[in-house]
Amino acid sequence: MTRGVIKSFGTGDTRAQVLRGVEFDAQAGEMTFLVGPSGCGKTTLISILSAMLTPDGGDVTVFGVEPVKLRGAKLTDFRMRTVGFVFQQFNLMPALDAAENAAVPLIVQGVGAGRARKQAAALLDRLGLGAHLDKYPAQLSAGQQQRVAIARALIHEPRLVVCDEPTASLDATSGRAVMEILKSIAVQKNRAVIVVTHDNRIYSFADRITFMADGRVVRTALPASLQEYEVA
Amino acid sequence: MLGIALKMLFGDPVKLAGLLLGIAFSTLLMAQQGGFFIGLISRSANIVMEAQDVDVWVMDPKTETAEAPTPMRDVELYRVRGVEGVASAAPFVQATATLRTAERRSATAGFLGIDDGTLLGINPRFVVGTPEDLRRPDAIAIDQLGFARLWPGEPLKPGKVLEVNDRRAVVVAITEALPGFAVPVVVYTRLSQALAYAPGGRNRLSFVLVQTAPGADPAEVARRISSQTGLQAHTSRALQRKTIDYVIANTGIAPSFGVVIALGAVVGVLVTGLTFTLFVNDNLRQFAVLKAVGVSGWRILGMVMTQAIVVAFIGYAFGLWGASAFFDAVDRPLSDLKGFWLPWQVAALVAGATVAIVLLASVTAIRRVLALDPAVVFRS
Ligand SMILES: Nc1ncnc2c1ncn2[C@@H]1O[C@H](COP(=O)(O)OP(=O)(O)OP(=O)(O)O)[C@@H](O)[C@H]1O
Ligand SMILES: [Mg+2]
Repeated sequence: MTRGVIKSFGTGDTRAQVLRGVEFDAQAGEMTFLVGPSGCGKTTLISILSAMLTPDGGDVTVFGVEPVKLRGAKLTDFRMRTVGFVFQQFNLMPALDAAENAAVPLIVQGVGAGRARKQAAALLDRLGLGAHLDKYPAQLSAGQQQRVAIARALIHEPRLVVCDEPTASLDATSGRAVMEILKSIAVQKNRAVIVVTHDNRIYSFADRITFMADGRVVRTALPASLQEYEVA
Repeated sequence: MLGIALKMLFGDPVKLAGLLLGIAFSTLLMAQQGGFFIGLISRSANIVMEAQDVDVWVMDPKTETAEAPTPMRDVELYRVRGVEGVASAAPFVQATATLRTAERRSATAGFLGIDDGTLLGINPRFVVGTPEDLRRPDAIAIDQLGFARLWPGEPLKPGKVLEVNDRRAVVVAITEALPGFAVPVVVYTRLSQALAYAPGGRNRLSFVLVQTAPGADPAEVARRISSQTGLQAHTSRALQRKTIDYVIANTGIAPSFGVVIALGAVVGVLVTGLTFTLFVNDNLRQFAVLKAVGVSGWRILGMVMTQAIVVAFIGYAFGLWGASAFFDAVDRPLSDLKGFWLPWQVAALVAGATVAIVLLASVTAIRRVLALDPAVVFRS
């Protein structure tokens, strides 16, 4: 997906190269973990993949589209249809209830409020939140909020789902529950799921793990061969 | 999307209340002061406005306001009568004198002396008595507000006796006349008597009141009177305007009201701008999420504008409701602010000002939202 991607922040003396030629691939039908020490550039990389940041150099291809070349309406359209997001901080809208929050991407696409809510309700039901459709984020537990956020990331059936530290704000049990849902519902034949994480307790959910350090990809491995990290 | 925008707005009741309060306050202040200003300066034209059946007012060329006319010679009446298109012309005297009651209360009053024969120029609305009662000896008609001032708490009733410059006056009738700008109490009496109350010799004619012949254009007749007599002549409407313009130009009223109104607008912009910027700031992350899921800058702008306009509309409604409640409350027969109202022109101007205030107030917020980088959604 990315070939030799470079990204720097700042100018002059304070300019720092954060990505120094990243070669990264994620496969459809798989859950790819992106791990590495804090500050190594993981968030920057997925921001570039999801067309939220423009790289300074290198090639980025997402399902045959080069987001770098998109402008204006094409760019917003790419974000609207191709990408779904899950964040560490959930980023739900406090004034909307669970179903409305999950329905936001559909509303953005112009789906009528009634139909969007119905679809969101069905998906939330699959995520085990059927009883909480009318609740506002403040009335939900952290794990429930993250499941609403997952519903929002999936409702419009995007081909790429990026999750930045989805379990970092959750306790171990709800973290596992969220990963189980991601694994069973998010991962589909023609969808690539990328999970950025520090949390080695959840490595077992990965189909593939890519390690980054200091702005580069250092190695990619299958979780089966990762016994040494489990202890680390 | 607009539904989401409104939910965001109503989902934050504290800031919503702040926004509404800011706008309602400045709307109220602007509308109340604007209406008050109009009401106050309009008072100067009340004697003109309330004179019944007068088409054209003729006065000395030096007269600038209906409340302080320069006296003319008595013969001018006959010269005016000779002008074509004048059906009838009656003398009218306006003098200021102090009223004293037996209870030693006093008030400055405008004495409007009307032609003994025709009673032309009198206010038609009588609460007690009739215009005909003025034909009785020493008779005067006082306005009900003046009556209430001189005899507080007493029922509106004829028969009260007053002293005016050592002469006797008997209240035979009570009118609904509105107070003037310079004279708080309005007294109608016969011309001869008005002249007797206010000391001085002959040649104290204030106005000649003209009724035009049927079919004649009052403006045209006024022009003809001016050119043939060298006097100043205006239609009723034109004299009202001229008088109000005089008050605006020659008193500090307009600037002082202007300052308060401007202050209302400035406070509105500041309070609304600050609160709205806070509101948008608090929701910046939500707007970033929306941008991330593919909402364009234009649609975000639309959302913020919707929020601003809804706030403006509701705030304006509250403010205007407050202002009209104020004018409803004060426009009572015996209130000092009797006759004050909220002209629709003021309401419309305030609506325009409110829109301008809200637009101005949302500039910072809008710039912030438009410049927002969606990548912030990944930061914790
Ligand atoms: N907008 C920005 N402006 C300046 N520097 C930035 C910006 N975004 C990220 N950085 C810097 O780039 C480096 C990489 O950031 P990034 O967020 O990609 O790291 P990360 O691997 O996600 O770290 P973490 O595990 O702590 O989330 C950091 O040193 C960070 O300070
Ligand atoms: Mg990060």
